[in-house]
Amino acid sequence: MPNSAGKRFKPTKYIPVSTAATLLVGSTTLFFVFTCPWLSKVISAAVPLYNGLVFIFVLANFSMATFMDPGVYPRADEDEDKDDDFRAPLYKNVEIKGIQVRMKWCATCHFYRPPRCSHCSVCDNCVEDFDHHCPWVNNCIGRRNYRYFFLFLLSLTIHMVGVFSFGLIFVLHHRERLGALHTTVTLVVMCIAGLFFIPVMGLTGFHMVLVARGRTTNEQVTGKFRGGVNPFTKGCCGNVKYVLCSPLAPRYIVDPRKKPSVKIQPPFIRPDLSDRQVTVKVSDNGIHSTITSSKSKKRLDAPDDNETQPPLPPKADRYNQLKSQLTSSEESSLSGKTHPSTPAMYKFRPSFGTMPKVHYHVTGEKIVMPDECKTSAILEEGVRSHDYKSEPNLDLPEYTNAPLHRTFQSSPFQLDSDTINSRTLSLKQGQRRPEKGQLPALQLQTVISTPYKSIFSPNTLSNRNGSLSYDSLLNPSLSPVTASECMSHRGMPSMGFHSPYLPTKMCHIRESEMQRHQVAPTYSPVIPSRGMGRHSPHPRDRDPSPVRYDNLSQTIMASIQERKEIEEREKRMRHGRSQTHIYVQDSGLFDGGYNPPPNACYPDGPRGPGSRGPTPPACGGSRDNLMGVGVVTYGQRTPVLRHAGSTLGRVPRTSSTSLHTDHSSTNSSHSKTTAPEGSYRSPAHQTHSPAMPRSPSYSHQKLSYMSAHERTDSPHLGGPREVMKVNGQMDCHPSAQGTTISPSRHSNVKKVTGVGGTTYEISV
Amino acid sequence: METELQAVGLVGRGASLSHQVFIQRDYSDGTSCRFQVHFPSELEGRVERSLFEDTVKTLNDYYAEAEQVGGGSYLEGGVACATAYLIFLCMETRYEKVLRKVAAYIQEQNQKVYAPRGLLISDPVQRGMRVIEISIYDDHGSTDSSSGSSSVSGSTARSPPVS
Repeated sequence: MPNSAGKRFKPTKYIPVSTAATLLVGSTTLFFVFTCPWLSKVISAAVPLYNGLVFIFVLANFSMATFMDPGVYPRADEDEDKDDDFRAPLYKNVEIKGIQVRMKWCATCHFYRPPRCSHCSVCDNCVEDFDHHCPWVNNCIGRRNYRYFFLFLLSLTIHMVGVFSFGLIFVLHHRERLGALHTTVTLVVMCIAGLFFIPVMGLTGFHMVLVARGRTTNEQVTGKFRGGVNPFTKGCCGNVKYVLCSPLAPRYIVDPRKKPSVKIQPPFIRPDLSDRQVTVKVSDNGIHSTITSSKSKKRLDAPDDNETQPPLPPKADRYNQLKSQLTSSEESSLSGKTHPSTPAMYKFRPSFGTMPKVHYHVTGEKIVMPDECKTSAILEEGVRSHDYKSEPNLDLPEYTNAPLHRTFQSSPFQLDSDTINSRTLSLKQGQRRPEKGQLPALQLQTVISTPYKSIFSPNTLSNRNGSLSYDSLLNPSLSPVTASECMSHRGMPSMGFHSPYLPTKMCHIRESEMQRHQVAPTYSPVIPSRGMGRHSPHPRDRDPSPVRYDNLSQTIMASIQERKEIEEREKRMRHGRSQTHIYVQDSGLFDGGYNPPPNACYPDGPRGPGSRGPTPPACGGSRDNLMGVGVVTYGQRTPVLRHAGSTLGRVPRTSSTSLHTDHSSTNSSHSKTTAPEGSYRSPAHQTHSPAMPRSPSYSHQKLSYMSAHERTDSPHLGGPREVMKVNGQMDCHPSAQGTTISPSRHSNVKKVTGVGGTTYEISV
Repeated sequence: METELQAVGLVGRGASLSHQVFIQRDYSDGTSCRFQVHFPSELEGRVERSLFEDTVKTLNDYYAEAEQVGGGSYLEGGVACATAYLIFLCMETRYEKVLRKVAAYIQEQNQKVYAPRGLLISDPVQRGMRVIEISIYDDHGSTDSSSGSSSVSGSTARSPPVS
């Protein structure tokens, strides 16, 4: 709704500004007419000149303060807050220079007010850097016109002083003729100047202090910084410079002129998919597995590959899109489904959005790799997902490895592995991006090229120890080097060289590569049988599970994983133990690796979600709230977070007028209710309180919720997601320590410290 | 059916607005204009992360240049005072100059990078510099979405997001 739409003309609001303008102009005119001629004759001609300049300055600043847009925010479009109505909290916290600042939802303007922004009830607008609404200029004073208002006050003070002084001189020289017209007029002007000098001088002094302290009137009178620290101050000199000399801010208006339009015409480039779509064909005695690589938040596919789990519902949109572009016919149950995420799948979720999707298919699926691009896509997928540098991402090694393993091992490779390898290498090089995730991709390439014999040898563990340098795990920065090392060893999951998660996927991909190379007789005996035994039942026999993993508790997931691991291991042990070793050890190696990343990513969490519209305010400053983000976001927003002085959650558009009370005048009351807290930090406590009690109980549920809602909070929920992945990986951890892959690892209980200090016990 | 979208993008046949992603402001360093550089998950698979981050970082650099308190801003303020702010009637301010550059840059990015990928980036000034709106289009060829938009930015009419 436009600012003035529907508003009636209210003459009363123009009275103060009219009075002020009349007094200013009138008095000064009288001064110039009746006093200045004598002054210019007696004292100097510079007197009227000086007074004239000052008066022009006063008028200019007065005009700017009156007519300039103070920094009005345009109303937000409906599409911007479509997720916020009814569900978003009233407040959102954001951290500014280490201090929690609360952003309140404006029901009129439909956005969270930026810091220092406030809604003016008189103007019915949110104003940037809102100072106050000045009735004498009938305008809000905000970011754009505060300087002019301040200069107006200064210049008006100086002008009043000058007029009063020169008038006094005139009167003193005309004492004997006080009844004369000139003298009388001068006396009147002096009285007006003297009368208004006190409040004007007081206001000027008040604003001089505000400018020096870097505060606005609103912040001062509401006591926001009482006892606290002002995060917006730049020091006294910096504040003065900012007020007086900063560039004039622009108006936030929509340019009605037509801009040159940009044509949006499908087909659209999908950088990762088109470049890296890989469908790997692995035929195994008639059982073909199809691996379709595509970018997505995939992780979904991996867990499904486990024997005991239903096929992973694939990621919804992207998978579908990718499938349409893929030539493979795959559609195992794994790939057919779209599923946002599940706790298990979370583990496999690549940290990069650009990771190609890989649909891990159970044995019997054909893995087609049509071209080099796709090959690299698969590789990159595994690699990227493990790039913890950008987004810590705990992948469950066993899961990521398992599906791929099953997928590829079941059938002899029909592809020309050499060709693929060469293409992959070349392609990877070309596609190498500055992202860290590309390092794993590169490594994958090299892995493909190296013989994977060592992987499947009975002493895989030892081989891996030798081939895969554990240093790489511990020193991700060495990943390029590690990649080459991994390449040479081929069988080694590139764990550690990039991220803890990389090895898991690397294993998968490597396995696929290895299996592709299993045309060599040395590998065939083991792999096909393994693949056959393990993979066959799953994708075909199982319908999409009605159970959503994101609803399962962590213990259930852990147990499911355990079962899968057991089955896999048993089968592998029958056919060869090498691959399972890979899984186990990879995951185990990750344990030490990814603990730091989840915590490392934490500091960004509070800030990130807090600054987003739909995220709950709990994200502002509490780690526990991060854990509860997934939960709070999606069901408990409105009633949970309330302002102390408000009884409303976010009000939908239809009833926006009800929150009109939340304007500058009432903000002060609201702010005062929180004033005792003394600082901007107060909202965080209030808003977090509802979420806090829940957090301990959400140690398991949060993870599942997080996976479900990771899309929204993905960058900042790296911590929780990682925790989940950690949990998943914990299953492998004990075995990775050196034990065999026997069920012995199920007896271990791994304690993982997740985000927010929550400790998860995973029974292995 | 071609849809005119806020005079920013012409949606060709076969494309429809799927949903929008909003890049929020980064207030970690005060109220200076910066946008968060993190890569939204909705763009996974649509655009390279590096391209997107470069775009946002370039925008941040532009805005930092516009808001820089230095010699240029001193001169602008002094000249404005000297001319009783009449200079603003004749010349555009430094900030407005930078905003024109930003608009040109966004236009270029849309043409070269984002429109081929089915994305559109809006000029944040239209939203009060609060968010960068990224419109994501699907190439499903849906023609059900209503066309035209007279709103501030983006299209208010869109097909239900593919779930």
